[in-house]
Amino acid sequence: METLKSIVEVTWFIILVAVGVAALVGYLYSHFKFYARSWFFPAVLAVFPALALAVFGGLLGGYTFQLWLYFLLAEAAIAAFFRFLVKGRHTVPYLMLAPAFVGLALLLVYPFVFEVYLSFHDLKLTTIMMWKNTGTLPFVGITQYIKVFTTSPLSEVTFWALLLRTLVWTFTNVFFHVVGGFILALMLNNHIKFKGIYRTLLVIPWAMPQVVAVLAMRGEFHAQYGFVNIFLVKLVHHLPFLASLGVGPVQWVSDYPLITCTLINIWLGIPFMMVVILGGLQSISSSYYDAADIDGASYFQKLRYITLPLVRPVMMPAVTLGTVWTFNNINVIYLVTGQSGGTEQADILVSALYKAAFTYNRYSYSAAFAIIVFAMLFFFSVFYLKSFDAAKDER
Amino acid sequence: MATVQFKKIVKKFGDNLVLNGVDVDIKDHEFVVIVGPSGCGKTTLLRMLAGLEEVTDGEIFIDNLLVNELHPSKREIAMVFQDYALYPHMTVEENMNFALRLRKMPKAEIRARVTEAANILQLNKFLKRMPKQLSGGQRQRVAIGRAIVRKPKVFLFDEPLSNLDAKLREEMRVEIAKLYPRLNATILYVTHDQVEAMTLAGRIVIMNHGIVQQVGSPIEVYRKPCNLFVAGFIGSPTMNFLTGKLSVADGVSVFSNESVTLPIPAFVLPQKEALEGREVVLGVRPDDVLVEHPGGEKLSCKMDGVLEVCELLGHRENLYLKVGGQRLLATVEAFFNRSPGSAVSLCFNYQNMHVFDKATGQRISE
Repeated sequence: METLKSIVEVTWFIILVAVGVAALVGYLYSHFKFYARSWFFPAVLAVFPALALAVFGGLLGGYTFQLWLYFLLAEAAIAAFFRFLVKGRHTVPYLMLAPAFVGLALLLVYPFVFEVYLSFHDLKLTTIMMWKNTGTLPFVGITQYIKVFTTSPLSEVTFWALLLRTLVWTFTNVFFHVVGGFILALMLNNHIKFKGIYRTLLVIPWAMPQVVAVLAMRGEFHAQYGFVNIFLVKLVHHLPFLASLGVGPVQWVSDYPLITCTLINIWLGIPFMMVVILGGLQSISSSYYDAADIDGASYFQKLRYITLPLVRPVMMPAVTLGTVWTFNNINVIYLVTGQSGGTEQADILVSALYKAAFTYNRYSYSAAFAIIVFAMLFFFSVFYLKSFDAAKDER
Repeated sequence: MATVQFKKIVKKFGDNLVLNGVDVDIKDHEFVVIVGPSGCGKTTLLRMLAGLEEVTDGEIFIDNLLVNELHPSKREIAMVFQDYALYPHMTVEENMNFALRLRKMPKAEIRARVTEAANILQLNKFLKRMPKQLSGGQRQRVAIGRAIVRKPKVFLFDEPLSNLDAKLREEMRVEIAKLYPRLNATILYVTHDQVEAMTLAGRIVIMNHGIVQQVGSPIEVYRKPCNLFVAGFIGSPTMNFLTGKLSVADGVSVFSNESVTLPIPAFVLPQKEALEGREVVLGVRPDDVLVEHPGGEKLSCKMDGVLEVCELLGHRENLYLKVGGQRLLATVEAFFNRSPGSAVSLCFNYQNMHVFDKATGQRISE
């Protein structure tokens, strides 16, 4: 009841402020025609978040003056962007979009700015009370960034080993996603019966909430009761010579955690690639295949000279996305190995980062770590998409 | 180099009968145009010859070799597609030599053939370009070039000009006509445009509803259409049709309906007695409707009509006339200086008059 009451109060307050701001803007808009002035738009953009912050700050508490200042600085940067780049054009559409900008600012810009702030200071278990009491943190410059490369985020594994492991993990996963997705898409692109049913079944791993899917799969890799080991036992029972080749049940999660995670993640990622590639395949005009038939191309020559080059434009963005997602995929690794007493053998950069922040409470170190991971992915994506654009211009 | 024979070809898509017993013999080095309205099965017939569609029943021979089960690439044919089907990720040159590269032909030979084809089609400047950097007409030429370099026995053209604008279509039509003697091959050309059929063909195959209606030289199908469909399909503007009944009076057959009564001379309809009382359709091309003509031999008697609409085309003029309740179209030399609504006299040219049985649609006149 108490909760409900506070929710109603908060909602009312937000609506009240929103109506007030809308009325103010509307009045300025219709009466003074200030929208024609060059300063109007940036001013509105600055006023919105400032008001919003004041409201949330006053309401939720805990926000220091310093934070508020950071926020205003970020807003000033946004306003400057619009003032000098967007100028006065399309004022009204941007005005309409302003509430969405506020949302973005609160959800994306603010956390990012705060992360940058953290990475240059020192917030950890020993300084957190100081921060709470005084609102200030010791400034440490780039020390945290140096620590990222010199100390380990975990108890055993170094940053460089983690980076190597992450690259291997990403490459293996994306490779099998693309190959598996491509093969399934090629099969689904034929005229087969019950195509819709197959497609639905194949998309399920992707459509299910990842947590559920991963936990279910972890159960299948259980040493004693999991499907995989039961299957292996039965297989060896019926084909005894396999036992001499070393096939047999293994302790998947404890002995081969990274392989287990990789298998699960491959299973999870194939449907996305399959759907994207299937879309690409269906957009290829059948007359190319007719022409290739007459030109005498075999099935694999058609695949090599026609299907692959023509699917590339849809595959490239999907591969970029898939790479970023896999690189950043904490779900699978954390859910399979992350519980207390879990191993560190399967950790990649982001899961190590998570542990550094929330198991070892090294907040500023993690902030610097996150920015470095972000930078790596940022440059990878820009490079990849640029090279793709260049390839497209050639055509 | 190659003859092509279709024997009793039947094609079904599920329960849908697309081709129903097509029999066509195409001689060596012949330019045959298959023409018909959309959905008549002409493209299906061509794709079956190319090996892109299965034959439901019947046999196809190329050079007396049964090719029903032969892979498209083994049939020594080349096809030019309606949408060109140029591989968008390959240059013009790569597009043209793709088939040769797949056959692992020597590089010098490939280059020689591509250069030769490019010379014929004036594509030398564009060899390094991508298809999307070319205009429609140039793409069409590349598609033809891709067919030429393979030196096939039979060329198949599937509505190659239908994606071009009117002016370009005329230019390309002439180019294809000029190309024909240089290709040294049999050509099968599918189109729905009767003008292309008339101008290009050595022989025309007219199809409708999956059945061959008439096969003949352009002048044959124009002068002696064997049924109502061919008569209405070939020739532009369309032939005038008058529905009525035949009777015999004073030893002369007479055609009559509510608006027109017309004696039919014996050289048009010799077996007059047998046809007495038969429901017929009279076909007269707009060119053979003579308006304000002084009259003469082999012309019908004068009729009175009303001019409804004039369409000036430049050198010719379309006149929409009404004789009683019967509407007629006449094309005359420009300029016919009469305003709509004025009364005109007109007559038919008996020499080019066609009489069809109304029930069967078959030609019954000479």
